[in-house]
Amino acid sequence: MQRRWLSTTTIAIAVALVAAACGGGGTGATTTGPAATTAAAATTAAPAAEIIIASDLPTSGADASSGLPTQNGAAFAVSQTPTYKGIKITFKPFDDTVNGVHDPQKGAQNVQQMLSDPKVLAMVGPFNSNVARAEIPIANQGQLAMMSPSNTNECLTQLFPYCDPKPAALRPTGKNNYFRIAAPDTVQGPAMADYVIKTLKLTKVAVFSDNETFGKGVADNFVKRLTSTGGTLTNRQDFDMKTTSDFKAFINAAKAAGAQAIYAGATSATKACIVRSQMAGILDVPFTGPDGIGDDQCLKDAGANTANMYFTNAAGDAAQNPDAAATVAAFKVAYPKASDLGAYTFPAYDCALILVDAVKRAIDANGGKVPSRQQVIDAVQATSGLKGTVGTYAFDANGDPKSATMAFWFTKGTPAVWTFQSQFSVQ
Amino acid sequence: MVSSLARVRGRLLAGSRGRVLNGILLILIAAALVLVATRAIALGPAYFIQIVVYGLADGSIYALIALGYTMVYGIVELINFAHGDVFTLGGFVSLWLIPIFGLEEAKSVGPGIIIPLVAILVISMLVCGVVNVAIERVAYRPLRHAPRLAPLITAVGMSFVLEGLMFLWRGPFNLHYPNLLPADSISLGGSASIAYKDIAVIVIALGLMTALSLFVERSKLGKAMRATAQDRDAAGLMGIDINRTIAATFFIGALLAGAGGMIYGLYFTSIAFDLGFSAGLYAFTAAVFGGIGNIQGAAIGGLLIGIVRVIVDGYFDSAWTDVVVFALLVLVLVFRPTGIMGMRVPEK
Repeated sequence: MQRRWLSTTTIAIAVALVAAACGGGGTGATTTGPAATTAAAATTAAPAAEIIIASDLPTSGADASSGLPTQNGAAFAVSQTPTYKGIKITFKPFDDTVNGVHDPQKGAQNVQQMLSDPKVLAMVGPFNSNVARAEIPIANQGQLAMMSPSNTNECLTQLFPYCDPKPAALRPTGKNNYFRIAAPDTVQGPAMADYVIKTLKLTKVAVFSDNETFGKGVADNFVKRLTSTGGTLTNRQDFDMKTTSDFKAFINAAKAAGAQAIYAGATSATKACIVRSQMAGILDVPFTGPDGIGDDQCLKDAGANTANMYFTNAAGDAAQNPDAAATVAAFKVAYPKASDLGAYTFPAYDCALILVDAVKRAIDANGGKVPSRQQVIDAVQATSGLKGTVGTYAFDANGDPKSATMAFWFTKGTPAVWTFQSQFSVQ
Repeated sequence: MVSSLARVRGRLLAGSRGRVLNGILLILIAAALVLVATRAIALGPAYFIQIVVYGLADGSIYALIALGYTMVYGIVELINFAHGDVFTLGGFVSLWLIPIFGLEEAKSVGPGIIIPLVAILVISMLVCGVVNVAIERVAYRPLRHAPRLAPLITAVGMSFVLEGLMFLWRGPFNLHYPNLLPADSISLGGSASIAYKDIAVIVIALGLMTALSLFVERSKLGKAMRATAQDRDAAGLMGIDINRTIAATFFIGALLAGAGGMIYGLYFTSIAFDLGFSAGLYAFTAAVFGGIGNIQGAAIGGLLIGIVRVIVDGYFDSAWTDVVVFALLVLVLVFRPTGIMGMRVPEK
């Protein structure tokens, strides 16, 4: 008897909860008008309107060494503007790793979750280009503004004959909702090719890739520029990194062909720098790569063989910008550990800054009330001359930055640390 | 009369069909060899020697793992899927011991590192042996008379349990394994050279495999193992302690896997928690290649796979490596279902 009573109450509570959840989601999505806000304010004292800026980054597992510092930057930027005209602005991070590696499906689920929360008006991220491919169509249908600090795949925004899927296919509504501040791979690969030929004065290069969207793309663009500016590709391999840890045959082929440098179209999470470690004693030439190798994991993987490594960063260095000194200092107080700061911390800070700025303008335009998601997208698109820590921002119709910064980093000292070398601006 | 005629015809047909199949196999092999030879001539003999050196070193590691699969299969007809993860465990345990023994990359050099390295090797091997015996006791022994599928599933289960535990221990990262072996090498003429590292791997692996072979052939326990493999019930009636013999088989197999794990780390300078899956798959392939249950077969299968892999990697595209290795496996099994050296499993 008692048991039956218990189960009836449980069911009753469950029904009530479901009803409440559905009700909340339903009304929230449709009416964010003044009636709802005042009613809420009348019953309980505190709950003011709230806007959430979400982030979707790989913050656990092998990718965490680049994802977490990036998330810190975004969180810090949002925390600088806790409220605007009485509307709370908060930050909510999502993690897109599965078993420790960034996962497109998980990213897509995270975006679904963001869309189901009417308070989420924009997101920072994602970190990886293949995750972006899965997320853009979903966010596009929900009119959610995306702002990536690090996506560099050119096909996300620009149409090239080899793009599959094409940028238009990623945007089912036909309107753009995706923005980024990183220079695309069409810039990153060639930049390193120029650097190898002009600065390092080397012409024969062996190339490998992890066969992923990012790695293969950046390696292809490197090879194109290398061969068109007088360099030679000695040999190339596209590895399946899930089953291979043995790169000696590739290194030996590079040595036999007289390679003077190696270009890695891969990231630390896809074993790029294990190749560096295995080069010890066989082939002692500079090791170059994209931003994906610019983290601590890479230096750990390379072991004692860390001299002569270079990478391009598809964003500038905040330390080079005197105007950003105060922000950098404040960040270091809030996040004191050395591992809290990565190559994409301040680019992510800038992403969040752009979104907060857009949200503020959208609130103003909406008469001081919470704007719609489309209004936020429009405000982001209208961004012009906004000064961040690593750049000054405005966007073209594709969502690409009108000007981006590309920086070169190299290893210095023992134990080696990544050190800024130079940067240039690309239009 | 009619039936005997039919029998003769059938035999003749089977004979000619066998010849045709063998002919096709030979043509395929010849074509592959010609293809490799043209590439090899283009790149010179030094390159070929270098590739073979790497292949032998890789292959020795596969062979070490393959032995564990083949021994266990020979005695209990069970594919111990957890074996690949026991191999990874050997790498993890030794990686953990290296700083404890005061070894550091680029700082610990010279002959002084041999004693601590051997100590680490022995401890890692013993840990793996104990773990594998425990796995056998918990997951396989109670199911010895259960339907075949049951121990197969517990084997897969134990594999995931071990992987999960190592994931929890060190996380999902690729772990850098200190490059402790000297990078110096001996010239083999031209640009080819054999590094001390390669020599160490090949010598340790071959030494352990020879020791195992001798042990199984000469020792009392080895004889008991062979007897148990042949007929478990009869061996039991003859006074052989079946449980102890099977446990010993798991123990010895895991010793070799543990050594393989450490050697893999030293050689490739990187390990990860899920390494056992792909390395184990290759080793298992090597065991079947050589003839499962056959100890020499596993060793030869391992070396062969190692060499085929580097030849494809070195002369062609690594995207073809798995295609070639497994196509070769299919071919070998179609024409010789019992593997290169023949199975050593009694028919029951």
